[in-house]
Amino acid sequence: MDYTPFTKWVLDNGIAERTLELLVGIAIIATIVSLARYLVGSKSFGIYVPIILAVAYTYTGLRYGLIITAVVIASSLLSFLILSRIRMHYISRMAINYCLTIMSLIVFFVVVKKYNLGLPNMSLIQPLAIISIIALSDFFAKQQIKKGFKTTMLVLGSTIIIASLGWFLITREAVSAFMVNNLWLIPALIVVNILIGQFSGLRFKDLLRFRTIIQEKENVKK
Amino acid sequence: MSKSRKIKEILGLNRRNQEYVRPLNPPSAKRIADNKILTKKILARERIKTPEVYKLVKTKKQLQFLDFESLPNSFVIKPNQGTGGNGIVVLYGKKKGQTAWIRPSGEIMTARDITLHIENILDGRYSMGSRKDIAIIEERVKTDPFLKQYSYKGVPDIRIIGYNQVPIMAMMRLPTKKSNGTANLHSGAICTGIDISSGITTYSMHMQDRSIMSDSYEMIDSTLDLKENKKLGGIQVPYWDEILEIAVKCQRASKLGYIGVDIALDAEKGPVVFELNARPGLGIQVANQAGLRWRLEKVKGIEIKSINHGIRVAKNLFGGEVEESIEAISGRKVVNINEKVLLYYKTPVSKKKNDPQNREAIRVFVDTGLITSRINKTLASRIGFFEAIEYFYSLSIPKKFESFKEGQEYIDSNQSTIIGHPDILRVAKIVEEGAIKIRPVIHVHTKIASEEKDIEMVITEDTTYNVVIGRNELKGYLIDTSKTFT
Repeated sequence: MDYTPFTKWVLDNGIAERTLELLVGIAIIATIVSLARYLVGSKSFGIYVPIILAVAYTYTGLRYGLIITAVVIASSLLSFLILSRIRMHYISRMAINYCLTIMSLIVFFVVVKKYNLGLPNMSLIQPLAIISIIALSDFFAKQQIKKGFKTTMLVLGSTIIIASLGWFLITREAVSAFMVNNLWLIPALIVVNILIGQFSGLRFKDLLRFRTIIQEKENVKK
Repeated sequence: MSKSRKIKEILGLNRRNQEYVRPLNPPSAKRIADNKILTKKILARERIKTPEVYKLVKTKKQLQFLDFESLPNSFVIKPNQGTGGNGIVVLYGKKKGQTAWIRPSGEIMTARDITLHIENILDGRYSMGSRKDIAIIEERVKTDPFLKQYSYKGVPDIRIIGYNQVPIMAMMRLPTKKSNGTANLHSGAICTGIDISSGITTYSMHMQDRSIMSDSYEMIDSTLDLKENKKLGGIQVPYWDEILEIAVKCQRASKLGYIGVDIALDAEKGPVVFELNARPGLGIQVANQAGLRWRLEKVKGIEIKSINHGIRVAKNLFGGEVEESIEAISGRKVVNINEKVLLYYKTPVSKKKNDPQNREAIRVFVDTGLITSRINKTLASRIGFFEAIEYFYSLSIPKKFESFKEGQEYIDSNQSTIIGHPDILRVAKIVEEGAIKIRPVIHVHTKIASEEKDIEMVITEDTTYNVVIGRNELKGYLIDTSKTFT
């Protein structure tokens, strides 16, 4: 591929092409998270989780990644259900959660292999990618204890949507080639984020939330 | 009001954080609000009541030596730095002969359960950022008997948003059976808007549970799951002025520029402050069906000289929600004692009907002691009855009569000449400056409380008010006496 002189210089000086692509991708996803929070109003588990999920999905592929995510979440929910009846310390609870998640994943991988469910073999996937997805259960369980089931599922949903969006962008050849060739875009993203950071208008979700106020008075006018 | 204007009146999360919470609530002030013990100390200096603390548990060691026998029959356990009502356990009554207490939900907590709960609090499970915390064991507020009939088991609380020492908006949260006796909206409590000027409840909302959105409200009229459901609009919140005063005092004491004050009404003590909030939520706008932003902007920059001044500003600026909601409920319009009325000229100047050139806006006095409305002579001739007045005064009618009977006799004998002008409908006998007089009656086209109609008016020489609206025209209206000429 033809690179601009600056990108070429960067690549020749110790950064692998794949690494550079991912690094640029992280900056993009971080900006998506900030857009989603302040313009749309959809919360995610921080900025770290969507980034790590999106990057993990680039290794696992979106379909497989989402299925592993579902297994992790399902086992977290299960452990929460079982453990809610037993009074115990917080960290021990979390540790049990991890153990259960690992157990379910092992069973899951075996089942996939044994019945050939049309999914790629696990051995092709970087273990670190799977571990990154497992870490989601930590955030999930914490949120569940503090904010309850419904809010947590909402936040989880938007986290996965943002991560998938991020995955989609950074796996497009055209996008990553363009970004790698135009590294000045990273400072430009800073400018975008400064603008988002100053934005004081209503979020999309605010509009939904307060729609009765906006509509009500119109009816009265009639 | 247009949709975009309406949108501009609403305060969103972005603006709340950027323009109010961050610049106005310094870290030192936030620390007070986020720490219930510190809040209590600071409010005590201002003689503001908070629930009495029975015990503080700071360490696990202290927890080991906690004397359960010494705890009263009912109390509340709270994390000192808890957020959003998490970790608060209310114990309603003691089980006879046991060291076990009953929660509003009927669940029983033994000493061991309580110990575990306090341990969780100490570990920071409910505090911001999972920091180590202190458990507060405090008095359970006993609900004011009046408000008790609207709530299920728990204590209703009143939230007031304060800014620049002016109470900006208020709402009441009522525990329901569904919310398990807590005043938490997310668990199903009801929120009710309160008119700042009168302390009367307006709209009531309830969070919809089936919707996927976390903040979707449904408007309701009455309580939902009590034995006997009550209407929620139009309730006068007791101690209202005192509550407003406390809210302003709390803002002064805490130095939070933008504050949410949570006040409960205790059956014996009256208003008691539960909590100060440095990042008060925006749901209050839904309960009041009104935006916070324009209210905040109206108050911005006003120099508030005293607590009473702050309350006065609030009452003058933000009253009036009640009128609208009464109209919505009763279908009747509300008019003030001094109401703005449009008088249309007899012969229009412009062809367009709604042209402002065709009418005059007048502050009128509403007087239920009068039967027929009255209009001042000067004003009447200005709006086009000049000829009629000229005609009437050209007749040599006696200046005054000794009795109504004498007046009537005069009218009867001169009927045809007196109402000789087409604008004069009839004549009326009125008392003016202590004398009985005969005056002409005309038809004036007006617009009162956004309703157009023809009103019969007696032309008078009295100049105190340009127009006085009498009983004949007030059928079907409710009169609000709280707004006067001052």
